[in-house]
Amino acid sequence: MAHGYKAVTWTPFKKQFDRWMVAGIVLYLAVFVGASTVMQPQGESFTPIQILIRATGTLSFLMLTFILCIGPLARLTDRFKPFLFNRRHLGVTTFLIALAHAGLVLLWYHGFSELNVVVSLFASNPRYDSLAGFPFESLGFIALLIMFTMAATSHDFWNANLGPGLWKTLHMGVYLAYALLVAHIAFGALQFEKTPVYVFLLAAGATLVCTLHLYTGLFAKGRVSRVVAQNWIEVGPATDIEDGRAKILQPKNAERIAVFRNGELVGAISNVCRHQGGPLGEGRIIDGCVTCPWHGFQYRLEDGRSPPPFTERISTYATKIENGIVFVNPAPNPPGTEQQLSRIGAAS
Amino acid sequence: MKRQHRQRHLILWLLLSPAIAAILLLAVQVRPDAPLNETLPEVLIEEAS
Repeated sequence: MAHGYKAVTWTPFKKQFDRWMVAGIVLYLAVFVGASTVMQPQGESFTPIQILIRATGTLSFLMLTFILCIGPLARLTDRFKPFLFNRRHLGVTTFLIALAHAGLVLLWYHGFSELNVVVSLFASNPRYDSLAGFPFESLGFIALLIMFTMAATSHDFWNANLGPGLWKTLHMGVYLAYALLVAHIAFGALQFEKTPVYVFLLAAGATLVCTLHLYTGLFAKGRVSRVVAQNWIEVGPATDIEDGRAKILQPKNAERIAVFRNGELVGAISNVCRHQGGPLGEGRIIDGCVTCPWHGFQYRLEDGRSPPPFTERISTYATKIENGIVFVNPAPNPPGTEQQLSRIGAAS
Repeated sequence: MKRQHRQRHLILWLLLSPAIAAILLLAVQVRPDAPLNETLPEVLIEEAS
């Protein structure tokens, strides 16, 4: 292998999360299939495969909606941080369910065509100039291709080879996939369904996702920190920082700084994790190390280095405490530079 | 997230949100045979139509 990489380890917590996830999926499919079979509308008769198409379709959309809500919700409340840690497994599973949905559609509606099933999907309805009869299947197919790319490159091997910046940019494609899925459902199932429940669910899901992302993007940006005398930024009273947690600073035209308190000691490091750019300041100190809330990468507060055998390094910043107030110098030290931590209550 | 990614992320959602809203509105407008609300009295339905 030309490039080295470190895979995120499979922890007991992740295994337990996956078990709950699979149980939830099985339960949803069972309830959906059971309820749809029992409560078929008068005069309509759906085959089991049609019911499964709907079950997998609705489930994958609901799961993707939830996945896209995790990021902004985790910025608003700590309750969603455990989901951040397991978002990748949720994403790959969502793709697999969407793939099952697509497979069933191709089998049921195009399997008996003389054309190739994929060609048949695009050619059977050529009304691309009509909104009402738009071939919505093609939108779902493109969304599935994007989701495939996301799932196939979700492994840390790709993160290490492409680099966190390009990897992150590539994975923003999931937002486009979501918009395509909304269109897929809006011009597909919504046009045939008589019940307004589907309209409500689709509108509620899309509104929730858009609102959360816009809200956190616009209003949770963090105030630009004021530089006081001699290039020091005032953080505030040391006792205002919760033990084991951080206060995040936004220097003007620079990356954010996470100011952590570890007992009586205060130190500052870059807010950007080396792994995938996760917000370190939203994590906490575990086993004496700052732990990224996204995938658990750890750094020592005093020198910004990952504990051995890991080799990641991030920038540290000089701190001082005067009259109980913490100050940070926004000039970053080279990654991995040891920095004296400030002690709360020490004579200044 | 790095600053440039946060900015890109926000720009993307500023573009996608109105697009998604437009898609939903268009889809509801072209939806055939909008379902009737059976709880409405028939007189109101006749008046509306």
